[in-house]
Formats: sequence, structure tokens, C-alpha cells
Amino acid sequence: MIRPRVIPALLLRGQGLVKTVKFKEPKYLGDPINIVRIFNDKEVDELVLLDITATPENRGPQFDLLKNITSEAFIPLAYGGGIRSMNDVRKLLSIGIEKLIMNTSAVENPSLIRETADHAGSQAAVVSIDVKKGLLGKYEVFTHCGQKKTWLDPVKHAVEMEKMGAGEIIINSIDRDGTMQGYDVELVRKVADSVQVPVVACGGAGNLFDVSEVIKQGHASAAAAGSIFVFQGPLRGVLISYPTPKELKEFI
Amino acid sequence: MTEYRMCKRCVMDTSDPEITFDKNGVCNHCHTYDRLVREHIVDGEAGRQRLEKLVADIKRAGQGKQYDCVIGVSGGVDSTYVAYLVKKLGLRPLALHLDNGWDSELAVKNIEETLKRLEIDLYTEVLDWEEFRDIQSAFLKASTPDSEIPTDHAIVAILGNMAAKLGVKYILIGNNVRTETHLPSAWSEGHFDWKYIRELHKRFGTRPLKTFPHFGFFTYYMRMITQKRIAILDYVHYTKKEALRVLQEELGWRYYGGKHYESIYTRFYQGYILPVKFGYDKRRCHLSSLICSGEMTREQALEELEIPTYSPSMQEEDREYVAKKLGFSDEEFNTVMNAPKRSYWDYPSYGHFMEQPIIQAMIPSVKKVMALFQ
Ligand SMILES: [Zn+2]
Repeated sequence: MIRPRVIPALLLRGQGLVKTVKFKEPKYLGDPINIVRIFNDKEVDELVLLDITATPENRGPQFDLLKNITSEAFIPLAYGGGIRSMNDVRKLLSIGIEKLIMNTSAVENPSLIRETADHAGSQAAVVSIDVKKGLLGKYEVFTHCGQKKTWLDPVKHAVEMEKMGAGEIIINSIDRDGTMQGYDVELVRKVADSVQVPVVACGGAGNLFDVSEVIKQGHASAAAAGSIFVFQGPLRGVLISYPTPKELKEFI
Repeated sequence: MTEYRMCKRCVMDTSDPEITFDKNGVCNHCHTYDRLVREHIVDGEAGRQRLEKLVADIKRAGQGKQYDCVIGVSGGVDSTYVAYLVKKLGLRPLALHLDNGWDSELAVKNIEETLKRLEIDLYTEVLDWEEFRDIQSAFLKASTPDSEIPTDHAIVAILGNMAAKLGVKYILIGNNVRTETHLPSAWSEGHFDWKYIRELHKRFGTRPLKTFPHFGFFTYYMRMITQKRIAILDYVHYTKKEALRVLQEELGWRYYGGKHYESIYTRFYQGYILPVKFGYDKRRCHLSSLICSGEMTREQALEELEIPTYSPSMQEEDREYVAKKLGFSDEEFNTVMNAPKRSYWDYPSYGHFMEQPIIQAMIPSVKKVMALFQ
């Protein structure tokens, strides 16, 4: 049996990497080139890189920076942020990005998912869904990096995206982001049980138990996490880490 | 051009432009070494008592505080051994790491493992990369042989800042007499000199300095009074060999090759730029200290100097990486490598200020006043 993937999720803000809490309070982590290089040397399963200011700033991907980053990574790299056209998709693929993650575009221009899947295979077309709990406990989908409410239901949206050809769905809980209090297992399970494609849980991992739980109880195929791979100790000292193969085997 | 000469006792040679030799052919660095060992290293029972008193002083000063001392951690041998030692002595340190954008995987793994095992909290100061890249590029363009000065300066600044913030008096540092005394000042000058860094950056940098951790003249002297920087490795029988054994066996620490090669930039700077552009092989001074401390023979050191600083294929890999990170094209990098060599004294600095006759005249009385506070 193949072990479920455990994926560091990195947030690009301008030229630097940051880690947020509930999509706010970005804490600077440093230069993406070196951080990706360290993760590469740690032989992580794959990396997720999200440019969190691209869509809010109404711009596309930073191709030059991404090229410098991909040249340091010999691991599968998934990128999201400001992908708005097939031109963007083709350019990203040509510089070595293996998976294209779409969030705002998936809501506003879902045919881009279809075209991406047709062009590069469905495994390359990834939809990420940012979810926040409303006042009445109802799950709601947000775009524009958590700034715009869409009134969509995450499960229905995920099913719709699968139909459009998405080969993977990332479910990201805005409420849990950076809190290290555990994944929203219920949310992940609802989505994972409604689609056939792999679902990646994101948002809230505080340790490897949480990762294991969202895979076992939440039926996620993979788990992405930020804080646990970039902070150490009670003061949240910035330090890149990743479990050893032995630790991964033990937990997951 | 002076004639080539090498010290009869160590392996320092005329690649240090200021080296002098006594009538027996022994260099000034060896004499400095002997003096510093005499002044700073106390062995046996007296040494044990001195260490005991230091630990008691640190504990007393730290009573009621969350931490009683701060230490710096880089993932390298000296700083990791300091972490090990202070824990063994029952102190409550906070570890600080300066992330200047060049950490290797080995460095972060070493920090992670050792701090977890020793149960030491970590605080990291991450330098703004865009700004720091500009400083490093400026130093390369200035063509002085001391591009590590901004990093060294920032480390001293963050340790001092954090100690001040926490109200902690003791900063325990990994610098030590036995393994690093032979460093010529001509190879690297002005670590505490903010004016030098600022002025050099003003000439060769392209963006304003806003967040770089630094300290000026006044803060430096105030901190000499209010804080204590202790080279704790001089308080114990510190040897490289024993330190490596302890770290590997007890802390799961991994070795990374040469001294300070835990940083990719340092590896490249010391292993490529210094020897190729300036003709300095920094291993010379490290090995010389180890010869004087009795950890190796002069023959062993000479043998080691025959080997390349590190593998040429890795040097080439690093060269590409450094150029990419700093945003240098091959042409720009070659320009830097071929630019005429300069020194600390070619740029404005506190050093020039200190050389003024009136300041020189004041130094003895300032020293007396400072002594009152120690
Ligand atoms: Zn000598």
C-alpha cells in the first residue's frame, strides 16, 4: 500500500514566504528559493505553493520567481495563485510546475479546469476550496484568498469541479488555518465521501496525530500542513522541518 | 612583493599581509594564542571553580525570569556544543537563530534535533531577504574580503536585543580561544562596526535599509556595561574531537564538512571566493589554532591544506546557486571576482574615527570607567 502523501503548504506573499493564522497575520518566513531547497533536500512527498496576494492584487503568477524556485526542486510542485488563462497554465507547466491549483478561477471560470485537464491530464488540474463556517454553522466557500464570499456549498462545489475534470480537490479550512488545533475532520469527510478524486486536507495541523486523524477519520487521501513544518517550539521559532520516513511510517 | 614565508609552529603564512615573525620564525598569531590561553583558560581545580561561580552568577541573575541566558544557534559545532553545555550545567537558555536565507538542510536539521532533545526553546530572527540580498551584493561589489560581516553583526545585534528585551544579563557565545584565535584582522575587520556596514551599503546597495538588525557605537558600549558576553567554551576543556563525538552520539547531530559550512553562503565564500579572489584559505587559521591547542600536528594540517577547500563540482553548484539567489548574471559575477581588492580601511568606518588623536588620547580613561562597571 502506498502511504498517504504529507505535503508542506507554503504561502507566497510578494517575493517572500509567510505563514498566516486564519488567512491573516502573515508571519515572514524568508526567501522561497532557500526554503524550497531545504524541503527538497528533505525529500518531501510534494510541495504546495500558493501565491496569496496574486488574486487580491489582480495579477498573474510571478513566473521569474517561480522558475528560480522550480530549478531548486526535484520533487512534484503544485502551484496556485492568479492562474487565469490557458496561457498561464502552459507557462507554468513549461517551467516545471506539475500541478495547477485553481481557487478563484474555479468559481469564476470553471471551463479553465476542463481545458487544463484536457491539455495536461486531470492529475494536473487541482481545485482548492477555501471554506469558512458561517454564523449558523453552515460551511461556505470563499474566493480571493478568503476575502470574497460565494454562497456556494463546499460539497456541491467539489462535486461540480470533479465533473469539470479536476483530478484533485484541496479542502482548506480558513477557521483552522495556522491555529494548529487539528483539521476540520467533519468538513473533509463530507467532501471526501462525495467525490471519487483524491481529497487533500489543509488547515489546522498541530502535529502528526492530526495528520493521521484526517486521513483515517476524514478519509483524506493526503494532508497538507504549514505551521508544523515551518515553526518549532512554543515561541514558534521559524525552522524548516519534515518527518523522517520512519516517523511517517509510524504515524501514517 | 614580500617573500613567501610560513610560521615554523603553525601554518599561517604571508597570505596574511600583516603577519610578523619573531627570530625563531614563529608568527604573531601564535604569540597571541599563547597570551590568550594564559589570560583566559584556567585548567584543573581552579577552572572548575571558575565555571561553578559563573553558573551560580547566571542562575542568581536569572532568578524569577523565564530564561537566565541567551545563546545563538547556527547548527554548527561550537554553537551546538554551547547549547549542550549550558543545559548540562543546569541553566535555562533561550536559543536564538539568525536565518539569513542561506541555511542548509543539515543546519536546520541539526538545530531541530539538538533543541528538541535538549528541550530548549527557539526564537528565530528571519532577515528580510530582499534587504539582506542587497547588503550581501553590496559587500561583494565593495571587494573587501569580509562579506560575512553583516551576518556576524546581525547575530551580535539580535542576541543583545533579545537579552535586553527579556531582561537577561548573560549571553553565552561559542567563540573560543582554542579553535579560532589565528584569524588575521586583515581578512575580516569591523564586525561591530555599523558605520562601515551602513556606508558600504550606501555606496553599493540599491534599496534603503529598514529592518536589518544592527547596533551603533553607543549601544555597543552600553551593552558592554549592562550585558555579559561569555565565551563559555573557554571555561571547559573544549576540543573539536570530543565535541564532535558528544554531538553525534548524544544529540543525533550530523557533520557538514568544513568549519561554518552549515551555511551555503559561508561554504562558498570561504571555500571559493576567499581563496580564488583574495588568496586567503581560511582553513589556515582554523588549523593553526588546532595545532597550537595540540589537537593536530603541523604535518597533518599541511596535508589537509593540500586537499581542495571542498569538492570542485560542489563549488560549481554553489556558484550557480549563489548567483541565482543574489540575482547576478555570470558576467556580473565575473566582474565581482575580477574587481580590484579593497579593505576595511578603504571605506568610512568607526575605525577611522577611533584613529583620531583626540579619541586615542581618551581611550585609557574610557577603559578605566568601563572597568568600574564590569
Ligand atoms: Zn604561527
